Amino acid sequence: MIPRFSLTRPGSIEEALDAFDRAADDVAYLAGGTELLQVMKMGLAQFTTLIDLKGIAELKGISVLPVGTLRIGATSTHRDIERSPLVRERAAGLARLESRIANVRVRNAGTLGGNLAFAEPHSDPATFLLACGASLTLAGRAGRRELEVAEFAVGPLATAREQDEVLVEILIPAARPGEGRAYDKIAFFERPAASVAVRLTVVDGSIADATVAVGSLTDTPVVVTGAGGALQGAPVLGDGFAVALDAAAMALGGVEAMADLNGSADYKRHLAGVLLGRAAGVAVREATAHA
Amino acid sequence: MHETLEIRLTVNERSEAVRIEPRETLADVLRERLSLTGTKVSCDAQVCGACTVLVDDLAMSGCTFLAADADGRSVRTVEGLARDGRLSPVQQAFIDHAAFQCGFCTPGMLMAATAILEEHPRPSRDQVVHGLEGNLCRCTGYEPIIEAVLAAADAGTVDEGVAGW
Repeated sequence: MIPRFSLTRPGSIEEALDAFDRAADDVAYLAGGTELLQVMKMGLAQFTTLIDLKGIAELKGISVLPVGTLRIGATSTHRDIERSPLVRERAAGLARLESRIANVRVRNAGTLGGNLAFAEPHSDPATFLLACGASLTLAGRAGRRELEVAEFAVGPLATAREQDEVLVEILIPAARPGEGRAYDKIAFFERPAASVAVRLTVVDGSIADATVAVGSLTDTPVVVTGAGGALQGAPVLGDGFAVALDAAAMALGGVEAMADLNGSADYKRHLAGVLLGRAAGVAVREATAHA
Repeated sequence: MHETLEIRLTVNERSEAVRIEPRETLADVLRERLSLTGTKVSCDAQVCGACTVLVDDLAMSGCTFLAADADGRSVRTVEGLARDGRLSPVQQAFIDHAAFQCGFCTPGMLMAATAILEEHPRPSRDQVVHGLEGNLCRCTGYEPIIEAVLAAADAGTVDEGVAGW
């Protein structure tokens, strides 16, 4: 059973911040509850007050900003994102990823904001958003600020969010011409054992630049500069591409992977190398389809 | 006194008003307060699917869904599937295809299957498998369950009189 708590359901960010100020020390924001209620049940965290963010209109909705940025309200569920025509059109890799998170019940309840704020090292979307150079907006008593996803997670289950701050939205830059973004994972349980996201730009049949992010191997998803660098300049057809993929997979050897239930560090690095090849292939197809 | 709140919801099309503690889950309220014990709780961690219920037509883990979040919403459980003593096509298909043995996972499987069929009235095998991925069964090996859902899809299409399930 979940230990007792008091529940507040504010209708605006301002009301949520007021509720935060009024609450005692052990207070947490609640969204889908798929992570928070679970750790409370297991006795891993205890909160005497939960502030439910699901009734706040500003945290909902998926839209495209005038500059082409995809804006996803923090309490959008994985299902909302998976089904969104805007996401499917502008960040197909994210829509596909969201359709494969955990199981259908978790996707129906769990939110993108909650996933990122919980900062589980095995998060699916965090890895993709990192590779895309996405950012997010936080609102607190001190005002609003925008942070890169790369700056947000600072460790396992730890983020740069101040306690009072509400995660408002996730902002994904528009794909540039010739850009492809893809993600792949291998999961034996509900969470990935290893995952890789690739963002690359194809110009005149060659990869002009690439970013490779690896998830589930380390405390937080990481960009592996050497892997992106190995893809740069490679032709997207023929042996040259395969040679570059091998080099990129080799570069993952430097990732300080942690062993866990899914397997040893070496094994997980190997999985990441395989996934890198698959994700890069999909990213190239997306990039050249746009060209 | 502990904090309580009153929620109003419909359960299998019946209006209910229940005074609950915030910490109570939907599975708690269904089983303990409304005596709807068809919904099972097993892993209590959103992994096994035994507690699957539909909230506004979406499959949810009753074990980790706050009853407070069901306020104003429509909940369906396995008890609501049969109409006028007649099993829903997917319930009948589970019998016809021997899709259960011990039966513990069956209420959750039926609700997950119902959600799949409402969203995809003629699902592909992949869609059935994808939709059932989070529901565990230790008896059947899954094949009879997948066959039953596919058969129910065919049955539902032929008999348009039961389109409401």
